[in-house]
Amino acid sequence: MRNPYEIIPAMIHDIVQESPTIRTLRLRPDRPIAFRTGQFIELSIPGVGEGPFTPSSSHFVSEVMDVTIMKAGYVTKHIHRTQVGDRVGLRGPYGTWYPLEKFEGKDLLILGGGCGLAPLRSLFLTLLAEVEKYRSVTFLAGAKTPQDCIFKDEVTGWRKYPNVHFLRAVDVIPPGENWDEEVCLVTKLLEKIQIDTAHNPAVVCGPPVMMKFGTRDLLKMGYREDQIYLSMEKKMYCGFGQCRHCVMGEYYACKHGPVFTYAQIKNEEAIWD
Amino acid sequence: MHIKASEFLVFLKRCVQEGIGPFQEVVLPARISEGDSPPRLTRLEGEKAYVLDGFRPVDPLKTVFYLAREQVYPLTLRPVRRLVAGVKACDLRALALLDQALMNKDFIDPAYAAWRENTIIVSADCTAIAPSCHCTLTGGNPYAEAGFDLNLVWAGDRTLLEPGSDRGRALLELVRAQVPVETDDAGLRAEAAGRRARLVGSLKRQNAAYERPSDYSPMRRREQAAWKEESAECVGCGACTHICPTCYCLILNEESGAGQFVKVRSYDSCQWQGYARVASGATPRPKMTDRFRNRYLCKFIYMQGDFGRLGCTGCGRCIDACPAGIDVRSVVKNLLDRPAGGGAEADHA
Repeated sequence: MRNPYEIIPAMIHDIVQESPTIRTLRLRPDRPIAFRTGQFIELSIPGVGEGPFTPSSSHFVSEVMDVTIMKAGYVTKHIHRTQVGDRVGLRGPYGTWYPLEKFEGKDLLILGGGCGLAPLRSLFLTLLAEVEKYRSVTFLAGAKTPQDCIFKDEVTGWRKYPNVHFLRAVDVIPPGENWDEEVCLVTKLLEKIQIDTAHNPAVVCGPPVMMKFGTRDLLKMGYREDQIYLSMEKKMYCGFGQCRHCVMGEYYACKHGPVFTYAQIKNEEAIWD
Repeated sequence: MHIKASEFLVFLKRCVQEGIGPFQEVVLPARISEGDSPPRLTRLEGEKAYVLDGFRPVDPLKTVFYLAREQVYPLTLRPVRRLVAGVKACDLRALALLDQALMNKDFIDPAYAAWRENTIIVSADCTAIAPSCHCTLTGGNPYAEAGFDLNLVWAGDRTLLEPGSDRGRALLELVRAQVPVETDDAGLRAEAAGRRARLVGSLKRQNAAYERPSDYSPMRRREQAAWKEESAECVGCGACTHICPTCYCLILNEESGAGQFVKVRSYDSCQWQGYARVASGATPRPKMTDRFRNRYLCKFIYMQGDFGRLGCTGCGRCIDACPAGIDVRSVVKNLLDRPAGGGAEADHA
């Protein structure tokens, strides 16, 4: 058995500053890291520390991996100081993935906000590669302000697919910023769509409070508990269910998740904290 | 097969001095100072007050296999071949849990596995109990029944030698070559059984105020107020988790140098505020009460679910280590004795 702590070095070959606090590192690992969309990796900054991040690129691409990261704490502060050509360490992939086979032939809803759009971009790009397999994909994306919107340059391309419906909202428009799409909480976009909720899956990822209210709204709309897929962000520290940091009751977010159905975890404690 | 009780230590000393045996080092408990100071694990070298009997040492056995600091990537470990002697039954039960956690079909911690592979375990019946000992409350006994290579059973002034593995049988042959042995042990077996029963009796008397719980699950339903009461004196130092023989929560220290990624594993503690904290500062267990509760549920419910065995062996070390004098026996009893009231789990969310 190979060393589970093994680090695969990777070179940063491009950096996209998505918003004032979010950037995408385009990484070229020394050897390709095959993953399935929804799984996560541990990314180390040498001498600083490491953290769990979900790739934001398609799982059909493994030579290059995008990781979209918000500046939120100590390690991410250092990630935001990296430059093209720097080397980082990767471990993984770890955890569960979005069950694409269960989405085939369905009207899939994707609901996300803030940096929660990172794993959802991975899912979305993975879906687009075989978009004809899905009846439709409705992607509702939120951000605080127009300048906080990420993946700005890609949105026009995403809207070109006939069975893709991409709606975007910002919470507020500060003076001096322009915006001609929706202005509301992203969960309010749910009121603007028509979808058969009884037989279709929904995927949610975003800040904890958004996931909490998003899930509540989806349930009200008629989505089944086992059809709501949540990407739970806990302190996935070792990545393989050993260190117990990400324990949610009897589940490990890293091993049994990060992709859970709401039915699986609804009775666990503090899932939204 | 049996030998004179004092001979096993003589045998170990000879092995070390003369380089006999398939090991380079012997680790065993010794009293560091005179009087009734509890024994600590030490290396056999020179004249110290070594103890193979008595009760469990201060150090949990995990410190020998799951080191407080260990480089796990890249793995450069060249483990010394060792013999650990005087291991007590409570620590063997803990080791069985660690084996499940750290060497299973999905995951093998390479450093732990290397230390396990290179260490011969010689256990020994307890002949005394510490005031905090309570293995019988957690389904254990003060004598080993499994998990050893060789087990020492005390009977009068003799020691019965019970092999538990091929390695133990090989060690037994080595003993036979070095020490006078006798084989007729029927009377001694009865004497040993009597001694074991008497020590179990002492443990039961010592813990007469407590019962062995048949079901820990009501703890999960106790309301926040009950946990608050039990954890009122807890300062969150983490001593209980560091000294617990089954706690294995880890930190991976990032110690990379120029051109080489390096990961060093060390102990973490779920009692610490930063344990489950994520980058934004959010944590599912912001209050000491939440973290205290997590530890108890982990030991008595989550580990039972994960491994089919309790995470508490009743060694009592957490009682000795706690600066606030919190006693796991009382906490469990208080929580289980409490009438269930309004304790929906959602209260904690």
